[in-house]
Amino acid sequence: MRTFWREKAYETGGMMRGLRVAFALVACVILIVSYAKPAWAAGSTPRDSRGGNIEQAAVTTQDVSSSRDGFAGNSTISESGDAIVVNGTDYAINSFSRSNKDTNRTYNDVYYGYRYPVESANCFSVVVAQGYMLVYIPSSVIDQFGIDINDASFQQTFLSMLDAVDRQASRGGTMFADLQDETIYFTDSSQVVVGDYTYSFNVEIEDGHYYTTVVQSGSEDGSSGGLYAESGELSVPAETVVNTRATGLAALQQFLSNLDWSPLWVSLRTTFVATAVIFFLGLIAAWLTIRVSDKAKGVLDTLFTIPMVLPPTVCGFLLLLFFGKSTAIGRWLIAHGIDIVFTWPAAVIACIVVGFPLMYRTIRGAFENIDSSMLDAARTLGWSESHIFRKLMIPLVWPSIAAGTVLAFARAMGEFGATLFFAGNYVGVTQTIPIAIYFDWMAGQTDVAIFWVVVVILISFLVILLINVYSSRTQRYMKVNARDRKVERFIAHYDEGQDGQDSQKDNSETAGEALS
Amino acid sequence: MNKTASRSKFSKIIAVCAIMALVGVFALAGCSSQSSSSDSSSNSASTTSESSSTESTTLQVFAANSLEKALPEVEALYTQQHPEVTFSDTQYKASGDLVSQLQAGASADVLITASSSTMDKADTNGSIDESTRTNMFNNDLVVAAAENSNFNVSNLTDLGTDSTITSVAIGEPNTVPAGKYAAQALQSAGLLDFTTADDGNITIQDNDFVTNKLNAGADKVGTVASYVREGQCDVGLVYSSDIYRYDGIKNIYTIPADMHKPIVYPGAVCTSTSNADVANDFLNFCLNDPDAQRIFSEYGFELAS
Repeated sequence: MRTFWREKAYETGGMMRGLRVAFALVACVILIVSYAKPAWAAGSTPRDSRGGNIEQAAVTTQDVSSSRDGFAGNSTISESGDAIVVNGTDYAINSFSRSNKDTNRTYNDVYYGYRYPVESANCFSVVVAQGYMLVYIPSSVIDQFGIDINDASFQQTFLSMLDAVDRQASRGGTMFADLQDETIYFTDSSQVVVGDYTYSFNVEIEDGHYYTTVVQSGSEDGSSGGLYAESGELSVPAETVVNTRATGLAALQQFLSNLDWSPLWVSLRTTFVATAVIFFLGLIAAWLTIRVSDKAKGVLDTLFTIPMVLPPTVCGFLLLLFFGKSTAIGRWLIAHGIDIVFTWPAAVIACIVVGFPLMYRTIRGAFENIDSSMLDAARTLGWSESHIFRKLMIPLVWPSIAAGTVLAFARAMGEFGATLFFAGNYVGVTQTIPIAIYFDWMAGQTDVAIFWVVVVILISFLVILLINVYSSRTQRYMKVNARDRKVERFIAHYDEGQDGQDSQKDNSETAGEALS
Repeated sequence: MNKTASRSKFSKIIAVCAIMALVGVFALAGCSSQSSSSDSSSNSASTTSESSSTESTTLQVFAANSLEKALPEVEALYTQQHPEVTFSDTQYKASGDLVSQLQAGASADVLITASSSTMDKADTNGSIDESTRTNMFNNDLVVAAAENSNFNVSNLTDLGTDSTITSVAIGEPNTVPAGKYAAQALQSAGLLDFTTADDGNITIQDNDFVTNKLNAGADKVGTVASYVREGQCDVGLVYSSDIYRYDGIKNIYTIPADMHKPIVYPGAVCTSTSNADVANDFLNFCLNDPDAQRIFSEYGFELAS
């Protein structure tokens, strides 16, 4: 497997092997004797094996890091950190990329070493190792831009440019300019040997795909020969496109156009469907509850209210058990076509379960406040139960129904625990705004999370405003004229059947209470 | 007389319960029929994929949380090269959670976890096809701190002795592989001790370090990074790839690889898949495509050899 690189790397002859052993020995001695000192001190000076130049830079990493501030004002860097243009230089950096890690994998069963990808054959290539870094610039590029890699001022400018893009691309990883005791070497030789490690730059392993490879002699793993690697192209400044970071309104526009709006639509869709189902279920459940005996009422009431008391995660877990594959009921349901775990209907069901008690309790309370003698009177008039429900009870408790609906809507909109448990976090399917806020924050997208927080605050504000406008309107309306003629007619009917003045007063008060 | 009254009351309760159950079933039936219609409109690819796999396929990938930034780019690249294959929302959770989710009945085509033991569990559960299992990535464990902080760590025991470090975050060891590697590393450093149960779950023993400094509750490795970034914890033990994944944190110490089990990410095709060929092809693509390699290398994932 390793014969390939052996042939390539050591075609210069047997003398190299002796030297190599000597270097390895020196390196080992240094490692053993002075572990605390930089590992790559004297004795492992890089040498090329292809007959090119290799020079230790006159510039140190400290020179680069100390000139950062002065350099920053004089240069323009792209937002993604792949390009930089500096005023007054004849070259810019383009197509820059950083490889924080790479692979020791074979390619088509041939071992090339630990390989870092390089954009093209004309790229400069940098390997940063412990104690030294190698900067390879192909001789064709040197000729094209008229560069002298031994010139200190070129080295200073080039390394400052490299540091600037490196800082953008490092994302918190090690930066060469921050390393102490780091010796910088410039070379135009495509193969350099340092101690045990052989570095080959811009090797074409596959058509059009270039790599910088590190081979450690006596090992099948070259990964210890580099901390990270970088590559990029030198380009003519006038032809280099640098897309800088947008600011102000343009940045906002960019943010909004890049934003995934699906959590808003999922939230609205889920909440509206859930609220519609809750509306009818709540009405029916409340109606049923007040019609049964006290004992049955206790059972039903507990059953209907318990999702409000239970933590949403418990509801979610129970739903998961009920519909999931891990229980017999779930398996039976799945076998009969109800396979909804981690789908949109699951999100709707989670919202229904946690929102339903709010609707149910609000309406049940209102139903119970209706004077039962009014209902009895309606029955004596021959009204059927469903007629009483539709024409008398619902109009009487209408404000409570509206309030219950809004409460259930708000609860469903804010649903998080049960949804996450039962429906998961699938963008565009079950990822509602509350879930998006949590996961955006977790993924480090604080700006997106804040955006959704603002959206939720706006929606809540709108809902409360609507309730207030609606209730103040209905109250005014009810003061001016009776809202429901049918109720009034019924009360008149009812009053005619009564004897004393007192009971008439009582009843109209009750009716008024129910309406308010 | 009394007996019959209570019996009639009882039968009434039963009747009401039966009615409610019926209502519930109808509501459910309504929901599930809604589901199929909404699925086919909003997410048409996923439902049509099974019926006509030659035309278009949607892959559902379950991947370790740490791949959250790198994998979407590789998926986009794959779709670019294979326009007939798209990806539904890939789930990036703690590997243990993904395995539980698969066990609970979620269906997926590809599973990539951050440790061999979580993949073993998925295999035991019958969630993956063992023959497709392959090691995909290697990673390192590092000590991360907020970008503007000044903590100095030159040895893992510093986390215990340095009094300026008041809190250390790690992932919950039994669902978050990074948390388990962290517990192993802290044990090697002599900062804590843990017991291992028969099912492989570990319990960290209380000591001064654990009580006063350790926060081992993060639900995924990304949460550890968030804690560090937002200042809820001074330092956290995360993968080196997490440093590149998040803004605002930096690597202050790379933990020697021999202090914990080797960090390996196995990938496999799930048994619940109906697109095994495509799923397998995607795994190969991740490992062998040069452009995919560029993306993984940028995010600090070393392709396993």
